[in-house]
Amino acid sequence: MRGHQFILLAASVALGIIWVYIIQNWIFLNLFAGLLVGPGLNLNDYLQTGSSPAFTVLWAGCFSALLIWIAQTLSGKPRSSKETRQMQPMWWIAAVILTIFGWLCLAWFTVFVWSVTGTSPAAGMNSYPVPAGGWIVLMGFVVLDVMLLFWVPTLLASPRTYRLVVPGAVTLLGSR
Amino acid sequence: MKQIFAIGVGGTGAKCIEALVHLHACGLLAGDDGTPSRLGVFLVEPDQQSALLTRAQTAINRYGALKVAVGRNSDNFARAELRDYGQWSPLTTSSGALSLDQVFPKAVLRTQATGVAALFDCLFPPEEQQADLEVGFRGRPPIGSAVMSRINLQKEAQVGQWQQMLSDIQTAAGSGEPPLIHLFGSVFGGTGASGVPTLGQLLKNWLKSQSLSSVQVQASLLLPYFDFEGVADDDTGVHAESRNFQLNTDAALQYLRTSGKACFDRVFLVGSDIKARFGFSIGGTSQINAAHLVELLAALGVRHPLTSTTGYAHVLSRSDHTCIRWDDLPDDERIGEGLARGARFAVAWRNNVSHDIADAQKVPMRTFLSGAPWARRFFHPAGASASRGGRPAIRDREQLTVQTAIDQYCDTLLQWLNQISSNLGSGFKQELLSSQLLVPSDRFENNLSRVVMGKARPRRPAKNDTVEAIKVKMDALSSERINHRGMAGLADCLWNLVA
Repeated sequence: MRGHQFILLAASVALGIIWVYIIQNWIFLNLFAGLLVGPGLNLNDYLQTGSSPAFTVLWAGCFSALLIWIAQTLSGKPRSSKETRQMQPMWWIAAVILTIFGWLCLAWFTVFVWSVTGTSPAAGMNSYPVPAGGWIVLMGFVVLDVMLLFWVPTLLASPRTYRLVVPGAVTLLGSR
Repeated sequence: MKQIFAIGVGGTGAKCIEALVHLHACGLLAGDDGTPSRLGVFLVEPDQQSALLTRAQTAINRYGALKVAVGRNSDNFARAELRDYGQWSPLTTSSGALSLDQVFPKAVLRTQATGVAALFDCLFPPEEQQADLEVGFRGRPPIGSAVMSRINLQKEAQVGQWQQMLSDIQTAAGSGEPPLIHLFGSVFGGTGASGVPTLGQLLKNWLKSQSLSSVQVQASLLLPYFDFEGVADDDTGVHAESRNFQLNTDAALQYLRTSGKACFDRVFLVGSDIKARFGFSIGGTSQINAAHLVELLAALGVRHPLTSTTGYAHVLSRSDHTCIRWDDLPDDERIGEGLARGARFAVAWRNNVSHDIADAQKVPMRTFLSGAPWARRFFHPAGASASRGGRPAIRDREQLTVQTAIDQYCDTLLQWLNQISSNLGSGFKQELLSSQLLVPSDRFENNLSRVVMGKARPRRPAKNDTVEAIKVKMDALSSERINHRGMAGLADCLWNLVA
């Protein structure tokens, strides 16, 4: 792994944290409040106890997957282009799992955690009543988060002959 | 530029020429200023079907094809120039005669010179007179001497391969550094033992007649270093026998002591007390003796500086009776570095990079690049056939021709390296190269750390001594450090990084 790749990796991880904890919530509050707020739903409450924990867990999942990816590619000893390319399906599997994991986290912290623990997020509710449009926005943000928290760091920091194995890398970095 | 004219006489001489070509390919025949010498090679062998001759010719042809394919698209890889003067049989001067009694027609001798005919019968028993010489001089120096002594170099200098080579020697002698003529052959067989001193003397006389006294004539003379396994059958006729090797050698060395200076300005004598074992063969296509380390040592005589030592005969010894190491080779630092580079390049190219390029023919270029970022430094990333930025497509027919030429030469080099490191004789070992790794393989070989043993192995941690590490370096090189693109540029870059 080259020196500048360490810097890019650290920068992209730091940017991911800022995105998940600050920017994303700001976007929800200021740009998508209309879509997220349904009857009887307090958006601030939902962001604090519903979406934020879900996206925090997703961030942890993406960060773990990123560490596993870096460790795998650093320790890998590919003997050929073909062997190197065999990591590409692994990357896609990781990305798909992370996306589904993110959606499940949303579902858990929005709906299931309340049923399982027998608690109520607000008076008279056994889950957060997120409208359909809100669900679509949240699920889209899961995809966006996986891209920002997994694709970007792996794109910038995959070492050695794995440098171009991440989808899109040949187009974006192939001339470098 | 230094010019070397190497003449291999007989089967062993051809094997030494093979070794010399590989040394040349590894850049080990460079002049004092590092400029590669120009090597001209000429094979003298009555046995035109000899498998050893074919082997040497294959090495010459494949290096020649490699040099042509690479052209000027390389700074260091395959830069050495090689001129092939072809093969020549001393029997061609005898009007198609294939036996001694045809070379010296007995019927004519009996009628015109009865005394000479009687002497002929006295010197050569009937089976030697009638032996078919198409398979060589059958390990009998007297037969070879009789045939070789009929060569008229003044006449040969007018036509054919001799004319080309002698003309080049004349030209080279008139321009800068005097050329060197180096002969190779055994002193214990038939063709070499009779041919090398005879040709040496003929060449010295010819040089004197041309007033080319600055041209040195030297020879690497191989003393016994192998035995035959098995014996000939009753139908074989006159043939080389290992029990005669010592006798032939004694006679040759006695001749050398009394008349050697008339043949050569200096000689290099190399053999082995521990003998390799070769299957018996009378000659021809069945004579498939593997390459031997002694032939490498003989070829290294060419590198011996003219001014470094005085004296006529040079010999070499090893420090350990049962083992040879890099330290035992003359100029071991340079030789070790050159041969190590050649061995590591051949393994890295033939058993890895070339397979990758073959893989690139089966998948879209972008897919290939996703696993081989280094390839975009040498080939067009879009796989376009039109060159842009000097990078050709990896599927260009011309590029694939270069790849084939490199593959074929690597096969030849690997075979030779494998044989010199495995064909040692009982109780003798070497700590130079790992013979088991020096074979063409369809497996992608990544680990280079075990290809070379001992002090010639590059000093880097084994885990970093991989083809993948070289590919990563290629990917990270600045553009200024990649002077050539395409297959030749890739090979040149690998050649530079593999050392």
